[in-house]
Amino acid sequence: MERDQQRRIVEAIILSSPEPISAARIAEVLPRCNPSQVRTIVRDLNEEYVERHSAFEIWEVAGGFQMRSLPEFAPYLRQIQKTRPLRLSQAALETLAIIAYRQPVTRAELEQVRGVDAGAVLRSLLERDLIRVAGHREVPGRPIVYATARRFLEVFGLMKLADLPALREVADLGAGEDEEPVASDAAAPEAEVLPPDDGSEADVESEAGAAPEPAL
Amino acid sequence: MSAPTPDAPWSAASSSAADGYAVKLPLFEGPLDLLLHLIRINEVEITDIPIATIAEQYLQALDLMRELDLDVAGEYLLLAATLAWIKSRMLLPPDPSEDGEESGDPRAELVARLLEYQRFKEVAQELDGRQLLGRDVFPAQGAGPEPIPDAEREIEVGVFQLMEAFRQAMRREGPRGVPHEVEAETVTVRERILVVMQALAQRDSCEFEELLFEMGERVSRAKLVTTFLAILELTRLEAIGLYQGLDELGVPQGPIHIRRKGGVGEASWMERLSDLM
Repeated sequence: MERDQQRRIVEAIILSSPEPISAARIAEVLPRCNPSQVRTIVRDLNEEYVERHSAFEIWEVAGGFQMRSLPEFAPYLRQIQKTRPLRLSQAALETLAIIAYRQPVTRAELEQVRGVDAGAVLRSLLERDLIRVAGHREVPGRPIVYATARRFLEVFGLMKLADLPALREVADLGAGEDEEPVASDAAAPEAEVLPPDDGSEADVESEAGAAPEPAL
Repeated sequence: MSAPTPDAPWSAASSSAADGYAVKLPLFEGPLDLLLHLIRINEVEITDIPIATIAEQYLQALDLMRELDLDVAGEYLLLAATLAWIKSRMLLPPDPSEDGEESGDPRAELVARLLEYQRFKEVAQELDGRQLLGRDVFPAQGAGPEPIPDAEREIEVGVFQLMEAFRQAMRREGPRGVPHEVEAETVTVRERILVVMQALAQRDSCEFEELLFEMGERVSRAKLVTTFLAILELTRLEAIGLYQGLDELGVPQGPIHIRRKGGVGEASWMERLSDLM
């Protein structure tokens, strides 16, 4: 198949996909084309968009490609959108951050870090599909543990969890952080959760390979 | 958060208090946040908090919050107690009978918590600085499943609300129902599933009770129960979704609505239906 035609097909698929679509999925419908070639095509497309001053670009988020408008148009698009623009309170952001880095976490652990009740925030994050219940911790009371949902990656433009900005090390405490008498924190082993992550993250991992940065 | 002057760290609140309106907290996210704020405006190191000064300012802030008629949550008081405890420990000479870590800086645990919280605050800010979907960037929409109208105002109904709605429906029907009567009519879940799906084929959504009572027609208890089972089954198969509106406080309110789920095609639930029977 002619290369130019292939490129147009990839473009059409990504344009019409209601959610991020993976390179592997695109490769399935393109004869003689593997996922890494799809990536190359996407890169070419993005270059083309830049050259001709397009209003959009292709991002790679949550394990798939998605066409998105450039940020400069946000003020106009917010007015056009039928749903209210995304707004995350400070409490929601902080809670999300803790869940993202510490997942899976219990409500008690979240409350320990922030020092305030987490019930309302958790409910709102669950309703917005940004987090999910990821099972129970096998300790007395079997508390529910929370983890980020796939939607979190989409909203924050992350390919996978490992792409989260690095959590600054607490330099002042040095390597001794874990040995500090912050018992509640140290007592939160991360591996005890029963149900492992759902398939979506696994997908994400497998495609992590030569992921180009979202556009640009 | 704005950076008020050190002598009036809560000025944001006090200025608006002058208007006589109920005042919102000046953006403190909790006791740790308030403490971090005090540390920042006093320009001291987290690792070396002048505990007497900070504790005093902290208590002043709580007093002011109370004066402003703010609800000072228990969490704030808990930290106040912790500060007082640390302060008293600092005044005592180290106890020689305690050894090792126990006799260390009584502030250590609080410091560790503050540093950790600050770390997450920083990263939360960093996350907020990204180009967020639905705020800064918007996706090509594709021809996805129809979004649920007014999704922002509705939540999916849990099984308890559903049971409650059903209980009410049964009670409503109970007294005026026909006296016990043996009926030859046999209703099957399968048949009721088809009825429910047909009702939903014609309209976007139905009210739960409306479906149970088949648009007002008088129905037997057996039919009521079977329809309910059909609705449960369809929900399990994800052929339909159950939704309920929220009031201003975010409490589920009003009738439960039933909608077809966009994601699942007709073939899929029909197929599973035949598996079922």
